[in-house]
Amino acid sequence: MNKEIVSSPALGEQFQRVEHPSGLTILLCPMEGYSTAYAMFAAKVGSIDTTFKTQHEEDFVEVPPGIAHFLEHKMFECEDGDAFAKYAKTGASANAFTSFDRTAYLFSCTGNFRESMEILLDFVSRPYFTPETVQKEQGIIGQEIRMYDDDPGWRSLFNLLQALYHVNPVRLDIAGTTDSIAEITDQLLYRCYHTFYSLGNMVLTVAGNFRPEDVLEAADKILKKGEDIRIQWRKAQEPREVAQSYVEQPLSVSTPLFQLGFKGTAGDSLQNLKRQIADEILLEILCGESSTLYRQLYDSGLINGTFEYEVLAGRDYLCCMYGGESRDPKKVRDAICGEVRRLMAEGIDPEAFRRCRKATYGRYIGMFSRVDSIASLMMLSHFSGLGNMYEILDWVKELTREELENRLREDMDPQYSALSIITPMA
Amino acid sequence: MNQELNRVRLGNEVYFTSIRDRKFKHNCISISLLTPLEKETVTVNALLPYLLRRGSKNCPDFTELEKSLCELYGASLSAEVGKTGERQILSCSIVGIDDRFALEGESISAGCARLLGEILLAPNITHGAFPEEDVRLERQNLIDTIQADINDKRAYTINQCRALMNEGHRLAIPKYGWADKAGEITPQAAARQYASLIDTARIEIIFVGCGSPEGARDEFARLFGSLDRHPQPFTPQPIVETAAAVKEKTVEMEFAQSKMALGFRTGHLASKGEVDAMKLMTFLYGGSPFSRLFVHVREEKSLCYYCAARFDQITGIMLVDIGVERDNQPQARAAILEQLDAVAKGEFTSEELESARLSYVNSLRSVPDSLSGLESWYLGQILRDASATPEEEAAAMGAVTREDVIAAAKKVTLDTVYFLASKGGEKEEAADE
Repeated sequence: MNKEIVSSPALGEQFQRVEHPSGLTILLCPMEGYSTAYAMFAAKVGSIDTTFKTQHEEDFVEVPPGIAHFLEHKMFECEDGDAFAKYAKTGASANAFTSFDRTAYLFSCTGNFRESMEILLDFVSRPYFTPETVQKEQGIIGQEIRMYDDDPGWRSLFNLLQALYHVNPVRLDIAGTTDSIAEITDQLLYRCYHTFYSLGNMVLTVAGNFRPEDVLEAADKILKKGEDIRIQWRKAQEPREVAQSYVEQPLSVSTPLFQLGFKGTAGDSLQNLKRQIADEILLEILCGESSTLYRQLYDSGLINGTFEYEVLAGRDYLCCMYGGESRDPKKVRDAICGEVRRLMAEGIDPEAFRRCRKATYGRYIGMFSRVDSIASLMMLSHFSGLGNMYEILDWVKELTREELENRLREDMDPQYSALSIITPMA
Repeated sequence: MNQELNRVRLGNEVYFTSIRDRKFKHNCISISLLTPLEKETVTVNALLPYLLRRGSKNCPDFTELEKSLCELYGASLSAEVGKTGERQILSCSIVGIDDRFALEGESISAGCARLLGEILLAPNITHGAFPEEDVRLERQNLIDTIQADINDKRAYTINQCRALMNEGHRLAIPKYGWADKAGEITPQAAARQYASLIDTARIEIIFVGCGSPEGARDEFARLFGSLDRHPQPFTPQPIVETAAAVKEKTVEMEFAQSKMALGFRTGHLASKGEVDAMKLMTFLYGGSPFSRLFVHVREEKSLCYYCAARFDQITGIMLVDIGVERDNQPQARAAILEQLDAVAKGEFTSEELESARLSYVNSLRSVPDSLSGLESWYLGQILRDASATPEEEAAAMGAVTREDVIAAAKKVTLDTVYFLASKGGEKEEAADE
């Protein structure tokens, strides 16, 4: 078993990377003083994985949108009972989630860690699907989808992604649609499982109050080395241009909500992670709360306290977004795009750059003080190809204004932007 | 326990509570003003935290204030309005990283304490008025916030159910007040109400973090020590223990998934033991993915994605909510009541009870692992005039018996059913400009 310590002199902290004989990478970060242990067993598969093949298949298979999320729900059902019922005996709080590019099964506990770890490794390693259980889940997930149909923030985000992207599957709703999930069968679930849940495509991360040997012994007991699966995904031929520059949908809301998105240039996963962090600083400089533009928009009543920004980045997509409530989202778009053009022409103010980089540094320190955020960060950095998650702090410290001006041109060009609005129903 | 807990009185109804735990990397200071919910003052009170957040006498410019926060390594300053029972809670808080992470040796925690003190006690009031422009903007934002309650249909349904249960009672007053009242607030009225609150509200300052709380304590002792305050005693009305008849209300709206909330009264809870039993009963009934509601309403019947129960000790109310197709509402309602009935008849296994207990204890023991968890835990204790640690609460859960849980379920009576019914069928498609 190959073990390595990865440490951060700045934080005085470290974690351990273990290459388990089963083929699984295990990242362990015991933390003194904490009561909780937080564990995540994650596969590099998400809603964007709709077309793929392995070395055993001639052709790419196309699966219905929402299948990764459906699979996540169904994994909890085992031949010998429900995984939640097993956790009920240990007291652990368990959950799972599916995002664009990963699926994670997690638990947190303050006792009976070893038992909960065995439950986690066991149920994620043993799929059990039947036509009947698939049908039952279609009802439950159908209600989950209906719930999101009413969520104005969620709708405006996915309308935006559909406007920004022509073919990249990031434009698809994570849970799919009621129609697409109706096409899911037990056989399709098995195919997805056997493609993406091979241990080489997964990671186990644990942070907080636990003994590393409990994790390794549980892994030795439960995980078996399987065949190496080489996954190929078909890269979407996504044009640089956006599909639509404007989209709106009426819902029963009180004031309009909007998402303004800029389609950035995506590199590989590691480049995108690095770009994401730089772009977050860029969004703050441009229209964060300490900027002149934020003040102008706020004082003219165009934005309010709900205004926020975010960078969405993954395997082959990257977009920068501003959103919130506004009486006139088009004016907000015009003002932000105007500011982007001004910064492109005049450059970024060195003082604003220094200030926002300093604030970001402080916020990233914060990510290293919670068991859940450390476990998540270990997973994210592993899947992005970053061996040492602490390097993120160095990226922030060492970022230059020139790099940021380059990102501005690449990732925030107004000609590749789109505006999505949720309007109040008449 | 790794936490060092301390509580001192800094003035007339002004308290400073500190919880120090060296494992953290941050320090958080929150100041909460506790005041009775009153129809006349609730709306203007709700405006105040947001007006204060705009800037202080020393730093009246919002943008300059934000720049100071960046210089404090991205410290976050928040203003919040909440309510618990018959009290409105107006709070301002600041979270910053500990001094040991400052790259140039700056004192971040002292800067944070000073800034928060200025925001609360040295506001930008001139000639008895807040700045006209700030009031105009924040008044509109408050109106928007009040009207935006409809955006989140789940929260809206729960709020409407609670309001209907407590009609005519102080508990029904919404935490942000009313939009028409917000429109009438003047810069002078806001300043008058600010002065009145600083004079009469109970003030709870809570410090949680890895650093020493002494600097913050001394700063607030200095600030509050010089104030001659006149807090008013406040006794909430007795809670309604039992439902008289079931109130029903159905409202139709254009949206996809219907929502239902059922409000229950939890009876006379004479002792801490009975309160603990009600908490555990609620957890067993609808507080986890192995609860009665999750297993029987969601998993067995595939009726919903969520169906959960929560209990509020201060109001004596248990609430169950579900997102469901309109046509399935009667079936869902029957299934929810059937499960409560089953608990009251003792039709649950010892295993289920032990699982609920274990899981509940697990959540209590996780509280000390986050600043926000500790802050809200101790504020919650203060509001109930209690001082238990999460560990003590966990120990108390061990004493709840099967009979206690059955007795708790038997006390519960259905008071109100609020149904937000979907008029729409299919979802609207997105359209081009």
